[in-house]
Amino acid sequence: MTLPPILRRWEALLLLMLVVIAGLNIVYSPFYLGVGNIVNLFQLSIEKIIVALMMTLIIINGEIDLSVASVMGLSSCVTAYTFHAGWPMGWALTAGLASGAVAGAINGFWIAYVGLPSLAVTLAGLIGYRGVARILVEDRAYGGFPEWFNQLGQQPLLGPLTFSIIIFLAMFVFMAVVLHRSAAGRLVYVMGNNVQAARYSGVRVKRVKLLLFVASGVVAALAGLLYSARLGSVRGDMAVGFELDVITIVLLGGVSIFGGSGNLLGVGLSILVILNLRNGMGLADITGNTQTSVIGALLILSVLVPNMARGLHSKLQGRET
Amino acid sequence: MKKILLATALAGIVALLAPHHAARAEATVAPGASVDMVLLPKFLGILPFDQAHQGAEEAAKELKNGKKLQYLGPTPENSVAGQIEIVTNAATQGVGAIMISNNSGDQIVPAAKAAKAKGAKVVTWDSQIPSAEGEDVFVAQVDFSETGKVMADMALHILGADGGKFAILSASPDAANQNAWIAAMKDALKDPKYSKLELQGIVYGNDQSETSYNQALAMVDKFPGMKLIMAPTSVGIVAAAKAMQDEKLCDKIKISGLGVPSEMLAYTKNGCAPEFALWSFVDLGYLSYYTAYGLATGAFKAEAGTSFKAGRMGTYTITKDPTRKAGLRVLMGPFSLYNKDNVEAAAK
Repeated sequence: MTLPPILRRWEALLLLMLVVIAGLNIVYSPFYLGVGNIVNLFQLSIEKIIVALMMTLIIINGEIDLSVASVMGLSSCVTAYTFHAGWPMGWALTAGLASGAVAGAINGFWIAYVGLPSLAVTLAGLIGYRGVARILVEDRAYGGFPEWFNQLGQQPLLGPLTFSIIIFLAMFVFMAVVLHRSAAGRLVYVMGNNVQAARYSGVRVKRVKLLLFVASGVVAALAGLLYSARLGSVRGDMAVGFELDVITIVLLGGVSIFGGSGNLLGVGLSILVILNLRNGMGLADITGNTQTSVIGALLILSVLVPNMARGLHSKLQGRET
Repeated sequence: MKKILLATALAGIVALLAPHHAARAEATVAPGASVDMVLLPKFLGILPFDQAHQGAEEAAKELKNGKKLQYLGPTPENSVAGQIEIVTNAATQGVGAIMISNNSGDQIVPAAKAAKAKGAKVVTWDSQIPSAEGEDVFVAQVDFSETGKVMADMALHILGADGGKFAILSASPDAANQNAWIAAMKDALKDPKYSKLELQGIVYGNDQSETSYNQALAMVDKFPGMKLIMAPTSVGIVAAAKAMQDEKLCDKIKISGLGVPSEMLAYTKNGCAPEFALWSFVDLGYLSYYTAYGLATGAFKAEAGTSFKAGRMGTYTITKDPTRKAGLRVLMGPFSLYNKDNVEAAAK
């Protein structure tokens, strides 16, 4: 009594969840299938899912980056601050992206070259980068960005697709190729499985880790700037707490928190599951507290079910022999 | 031919203007329409917002709205993104009106504008959209400059015609609303009517019970002859009243300010805090609902000068908002004053 391999895979379960959720949404809300709603469904969480793509690589690599939401806040505050100090918007945006690269490099240095655990280093980053962001803008709200910037964040660019959605789709394809079709991607897995073995077989472990964290910083900074454009104004508390949603998406996608396993297909499906679930609950007028509980329960299940299934499976096999 | 066209056009313009003027007299809000409406607090789980919800439900019942009022809010830690999500989803559902206690500053603007573009009326209450973009009208609880006069009046009332010395226990030195109220009170004190009131100083309790309690005790020594502590914060006023009660000083030093009736009940009954003020969140919810319902059903338009009758609360007029560069306002006001005669009823 064994299931066909395809059905035992976590991705199959996610796909099933997605079908059920989408089906319920179609039945219960006449608004769900509208083009505008589908675009909004992505648009409302677009920055989180962009960051989740990069977080997938970090977690498969056996690390974690808790500072992403603070880096989002940092980049938007740096851009707002420099823009209001008189810099042209282009330079202000560059400064924002650069702040993300610097933050990522600081994380990467302590993790890769000093050997501190990423949990501790990026927790410090979570607090520290947010602190810098708040010092820059204090209690003010910075708006008044150029119209093209706001348009980029709020208006469709290609058909119904916004700039952020196009970036997400392009990044998804790019990351999938890097992770699953390139030598660099193999390194990410190998290091996540056994960093010692990787080191002994000549992998430049430190350099790869540093690059991963710099990339994570830059992607988070980009997400922060897209968020600023979408909201049209910047405050010191931009994106507070987003790191947990990002990590939730990645873990639900079947990526092991211990590193070494998981794939982008799972994360892509997890993104669709969570976004459709949130959208459906929103359209069903379910409040924030309930939404949080449901997604929490889903995450617990995602950890429990595969483990229990594995246990049950090995028991059954034990009986057969 | 041209003349006929011109005449027709003129007639059209007159026809357009006529109801416009009629609306300025006083619009009647007709009950019985079916309008989807969403009441959106800053976040869930806060008493004043639940009270506003209660008031809105009361108005919904009176107006016999065929559609159920949706009270939707984000979690406190997800307030900004959550408010934006709720406004966006409400717009997708094509609701008639959204009532927002805005916690997102101008970050709510794109979502609010999108909702307006889809035909929803956007009414803010309790906390407005600073730039007023994407907003039809703001239902303001009180005129913040009135706060100063109300506090001066309470001080005079408690201390009697002979007046006396008093001091202020505020929240933190950089709380914008409290500072505005204290400045307004200093302004009010210039009136000869209050010449017998002497402000000795301001102390800050950071809106923490423990700190406020200790500060209140310290004030007794710091300000000799002080007969009254004025606390324009719901945390400070309770802490000060408890401090005076614990030290059995209530005969000599009275407490007043802005407080929540249910928290002040005991101190008002035993005379430690004979009189305090607050606005009613129930009324604020009620008035916001009437305003939003009236706009959504087309009973009146969001224009300066429009008057409408809001059920049991009487007639209100939409005016330009003097506290912002742009935007319209319905001013609820006045403060509700609470003393031993009415605090019990209000505390329920």
